[in-house]
Amino acid sequence: MGEKKLVDARGMACPGPIAKLTRAYREAKNGDIIEVLATDQGFVADVKSWTESTGNKLVELKQDSSGVIRAVIEVTAKK
Amino acid sequence: MAENRVLIIGGGSGGIIAANLLAEEGKKVTLVTDSPVHFFQPANLFIAFRGEPPEKYSRSVNSLLHQNVELILEKVTKLDLENRFAITEKNRKLDYDVVVVAAGASLDYDSLPGMRESLNRFGDYYSTPQSAVRLWETIRGLKKGKFVIGVPDLIIKCPPAPHKGTFLSASFFKKEKRDVSVELLYPSPHAYTEAELARTIEKKMEEFGNISVRTSFLIDSIDVERKVVVGMNGEEVAYDALAVIPFHKGPKIEINPADARDEDGFIKVDKNKLSISSYDDAYAIGDCTNAPTSKTGVAAHLGAFTVWRRIRGENAVYTGRTNCPMITDNEAIFVISDYENKPVGQRFSKLKRLMEDLFVSMYFPSLMHPRKFEPIFNAYFEATEPSVLGERGW
Repeated sequence: MGEKKLVDARGMACPGPIAKLTRAYREAKNGDIIEVLATDQGFVADVKSWTESTGNKLVELKQDSSGVIRAVIEVTAKK
Repeated sequence: MAENRVLIIGGGSGGIIAANLLAEEGKKVTLVTDSPVHFFQPANLFIAFRGEPPEKYSRSVNSLLHQNVELILEKVTKLDLENRFAITEKNRKLDYDVVVVAAGASLDYDSLPGMRESLNRFGDYYSTPQSAVRLWETIRGLKKGKFVIGVPDLIIKCPPAPHKGTFLSASFFKKEKRDVSVELLYPSPHAYTEAELARTIEKKMEEFGNISVRTSFLIDSIDVERKVVVGMNGEEVAYDALAVIPFHKGPKIEINPADARDEDGFIKVDKNKLSISSYDDAYAIGDCTNAPTSKTGVAAHLGAFTVWRRIRGENAVYTGRTNCPMITDNEAIFVISDYENKPVGQRFSKLKRLMEDLFVSMYFPSLMHPRKFEPIFNAYFEATEPSVLGERGW
């Protein structure tokens, strides 16, 4: 099992969540899990296309009743 | 009076505006900076891609300050928020009643293999005017091939600057009828971090014909021998010339308490009041803070006004307002947003390009006489308020 890292980007407007996810991804290795919390509504579409185009795995993407988006990403595309 | 001695750390636009506003109304202001010269940072683009001279955009800090501001040309190495003093490299102790930190971001060229070698070889338009001159020599000497602009990280000064560099260099190569293409390597899924603006920008890039953009490209390293940028997934992009945007960190000042800074060294502020952590006698403005807005001159400018008003006892707040110009040779859009509103949809126009030229021409006078220019900026900000422009765009 890889490591698990939490990225809290709640309250950050664009580009906050993707910027913080990129920084966490830089430190990560294959098998790690990155969990991102965000409130920027654009992040839902962004994280889908980001994981797809970078070849990583979006394990979970949910939004709770208070609007907080939770994305769980498994790092799979590092060389 | 207890709040009479104001110490300002940093001689960028935020520090100078704050110093002049406070000195004009009789506060005892000391500004400490390690650079005797103030440089208009966006002009790095005009130097790097048009060959303009750095002198045109440089002034001595002293010439921009109100006559009553005491200027100390030393580097601050330590700031003690608990005991209200700063220490300089020459061991000078500066006591204060209120401190305003406007120290900017520091640039890191060493956390990515090959980045510093590329800087030395090709120059860039982020570090110094001299480095921008170096990039102009690179651009001027590139007769054919590919110029690549790489963006490894998104927490950067002037978020549209990678795109400005792309457009301006592509214009130069087109005008000179050179067989040179420009490629932007960008880490987010669209050509800009906000999807709607990204579509506008992608369309403009297509119109150029000599621009390509690779999105979701995460730079892992630069192989300077083979002249390729290597992505984290192993993908490689070849270049003939390269400009990489450096990583940004907080200012290199030791601060007590240490937890007044975040993990990247940015100073933790209340995003509206701009006060540092729980202190009511310490503020930070502009690029050195962790405020969740863009690192841009407008934030420093508005932050200086907010802090000036708060020191006067008014309940002023900074709304997170940005106004970042993204220019081509003859057109522009402005990335306009605040904490509550995402960037307003934009159309490229020549009139906006003219407005950007007007802002540039007003730059130095507006630092020297911030109150005189306040009505002009206020009228502009009011007319372009994000909540008003909203869905209809601009």
